[in-house]
Amino acid sequence: MLEVKQLTAGYGRTQVLWEMDLTVGKNEIVALVGPNGAGKSTLLRAITGMIPVRSGSVTFDGQVIQGQSIEEIVTRGIAHVPEGRRLFPGLTVRENLQLGAWRTRDTNIDHVVELFPRLGERLDQVAGSMSGGEQQQCAIARGLMSKPTLIIIDELSLGLAPVVVDEIIQRLPGIAESGTSILMVDQDVDAALTIASTAYVLEAGHLVLSGKAADLLADPRVQESYLGVG
Amino acid sequence: MDTFLQVTAYGLLQGGLLALVAVGFSLVWGIMNIVNLSHGAFVILGAYIAWEMQSWFGLDPFLGMFVSAAVLFCIGYVIQRYLINLIVNGPVFITLLLTFGINMIFIQSMNLIFTADFRSIQTSYGSNSLKIGAIHIPVVRLLAFLLAILISFALVAFVKRTRTGLSIMATGMDRGAARLMGIRARHVYAITFAISAALAGMAGTMIATIETFDPAKAGKFTLMAFVVAVLGGLGNLYGALVGGLLIGLVESWAGQYLSGTWVNGIAFLVLIIVLIFRPNGLVGKAFYAARVEL
Ligand SMILES: Nc1ncnc2c1ncn2[C@@H]1O[C@H](COP(=O)(O)OP(=O)(O)O)[C@@H](O)[C@H]1O
Ligand SMILES: [Mg+2]
Repeated sequence: MLEVKQLTAGYGRTQVLWEMDLTVGKNEIVALVGPNGAGKSTLLRAITGMIPVRSGSVTFDGQVIQGQSIEEIVTRGIAHVPEGRRLFPGLTVRENLQLGAWRTRDTNIDHVVELFPRLGERLDQVAGSMSGGEQQQCAIARGLMSKPTLIIIDELSLGLAPVVVDEIIQRLPGIAESGTSILMVDQDVDAALTIASTAYVLEAGHLVLSGKAADLLADPRVQESYLGVG
Repeated sequence: MDTFLQVTAYGLLQGGLLALVAVGFSLVWGIMNIVNLSHGAFVILGAYIAWEMQSWFGLDPFLGMFVSAAVLFCIGYVIQRYLINLIVNGPVFITLLLTFGINMIFIQSMNLIFTADFRSIQTSYGSNSLKIGAIHIPVVRLLAFLLAILISFALVAFVKRTRTGLSIMATGMDRGAARLMGIRARHVYAITFAISAALAGMAGTMIATIETFDPAKAGKFTLMAFVVAVLGGLGNLYGALVGGLLIGLVESWAGQYLSGTWVNGIAFLVLIIVLIFRPNGLVGKAFYAARVEL
């Protein structure tokens, strides 16, 4: 569904990514792991047009999307929950969710409140005044509002309490099942690889490993670098 | 005492118009971080359009103001969409320079097209006035005041209650995140600027029914809009309303009780005093809470 081929990208004069290849299939959960500064966020930004793609290609549902504006790309059915959540802090949870459905105009919030019941109690609260965990739930819910075919989630669990992380992670397989594939970045590599079917390991802008998540979980190199085993 | 009441009444009425000049200016500043130095030129252009409408078609200025609004909406949209959008992410200095340039082009064009002579818009009911106790309230001033307040409230309601308004707020808070929702930020910016220009045009028309105008007066209105917007709290539309009324009052009092040269400085004096005690402006928190750039 999403296919990234030989993608290079960067900021200004500095190149950050070299020849990235990545595929996300239908109903699939794909994890992207790697140390800080490896270029995970940069790759996600290049996919949704937040930064230009220098070479290579990005196709979504068979259509070439690189070079299009962010607005055009997300309108094709990709939601991007960016690093740092980027909620509209002065607006209420309800307004944030409504904005998530901007392109579909379907402001029915029932399906996301069902996933994250906590939000249901907070609808009229200003988003900026919620706890980090609630904000993260709101950010994911906002991304799901438009019923995208792919949701990209950057730093899923950054700064969240483990209980909250578990709670959010639990929801992901259900989301993927219901027709929204997931491309996620998470610092909790163990959790990410457990839940994902496919994973990619990035280091210093290069793809160093990729394959079935279960295989990577058992790979000694991954265990040593990311799982604190060995 | 009667003089004081009369001066106070005039000040409040004038303040309503200043508020209308300032709300659009404040909106553009708050949402796009643009200090639009051509705002005063839009006010004056609105006055000219309504003047010409009256002269050619006999259109009453209180109807002509909607023509001014429509024309300025279009001009504003085009200017933002195809000019200011190109540099909107640049440093504030660059946007200042550009809007300063736009201001000069507008003023020179108006000088060429309309000449630099003073004009004003006369109406058949221009000399009517209501008498409340010892104070006279000219109907034109009252009508202009009421409309100005009404339009300002309508703007606030529009921004807070409509889909387009929500997109304006969202884009103002976090442009990158708004684009990720699929909101076309360039279009939203252009709409915001267009609304601001339209309000300026309406204010200019109503001001022209009360006092004379010429292209050189543009600078005064930009300055007033600036003072009122900062006074009210950046991007705070209710604040602009309150600030407008306050500056109207202060100017009116100063005009009556101080010598001429003081009058221009007094608005700034008030501004400085308010900012010393309330750095975020008169009306507490701004209507947008944070500004994050992509
Ligand atoms: N906005 C930016 N401008 C310039 N360089 C950036 C920017 N964001 C990230 N970088 C650089 O790109 C590299 C990859 O960063 P990033 O994609 O954020 O890594 P990750 O998400 O894997 O931690 C880093 O070296 C970082 O310094
Ligand atoms: Mg990152």
